[in-house]
Amino acid sequence: MRRLSCLLLVLVCACASGPKFNTVESTLSAAPTGKARIFFYRATALGAAIQPEIRLNGAVVGKAAPHGVFYVDVDPGNMEVVTGSEVEKKLTFQAGPGERRYVRAAVGFGVVVWRVYPELVDEGEAKKEMADLAFTGAKQ
Amino acid sequence: MEACAPVRRAIAILLSTLAAACASEVVRQPATLTPAAAGAERRELQMAQDSEVSVSATYSRVLPAGSRWQFVGELPQGAVYRRVDGIFTVEGAHVHEAYLVIAGEKLVGFYLPVESSFAPTTPIVLKTR
Repeated sequence: MRRLSCLLLVLVCACASGPKFNTVESTLSAAPTGKARIFFYRATALGAAIQPEIRLNGAVVGKAAPHGVFYVDVDPGNMEVVTGSEVEKKLTFQAGPGERRYVRAAVGFGVVVWRVYPELVDEGEAKKEMADLAFTGAKQ
Repeated sequence: MEACAPVRRAIAILLSTLAAACASEVVRQPATLTPAAAGAERRELQMAQDSEVSVSATYSRVLPAGSRWQFVGELPQGAVYRRVDGIFTVEGAHVHEAYLVIAGEKLVGFYLPVESSFAPTTPIVLKTR
């Protein structure tokens, strides 16, 4: 029983903390003129101990925290997203000025451990999945 | 015999994981898009039915019925259409946003905008409206 409690405690600690996204979404400021906004989220606690950094065009913009969501405002153009994981799978897409794009940190079982990899998601699906996640803020 | 089921399942998961880990890159060649003229009317296509298209020998995608695609330019291989009511990606070792390349009524491949490249596919006739 004590082991189970410890395991649950680890899982809870591993999850992102912050207000639910759907409670703050309407208060978010618009992206600066000419910028694109990229949301990153992880909707599952599977493999919670694995929380790789998320790199956008080579720069670390955050980490794939379970049940967490954040965004970055960037210059429009070509985007390359990589999560530091067992198997590195990159995602490439374009984002135009004023556009919003959504990237999910998906989780699969790798050869040795869970692996986390980026997927491009359409807005409707992303908004449904992000609603109950913890908003961890805007990243620079 | 039933005791073997978990082992078989574990082996299946391991094999599919290895297959995913070893996925090869999307075969592609450099391509230069000639964008649609600014201000010109952008024609649209709508898929009349689900169409399964192959990206590689082991990977395929479905173009869903009702999905809408807008003309964005031309390649030597055909006209290029971007999905406007959702996203479309192709996957090999990596995942790439992709547009359709259509010659006549046939899908002949995909344009990868970030990589500025053309990925050919086995041509299929698309039912559009």
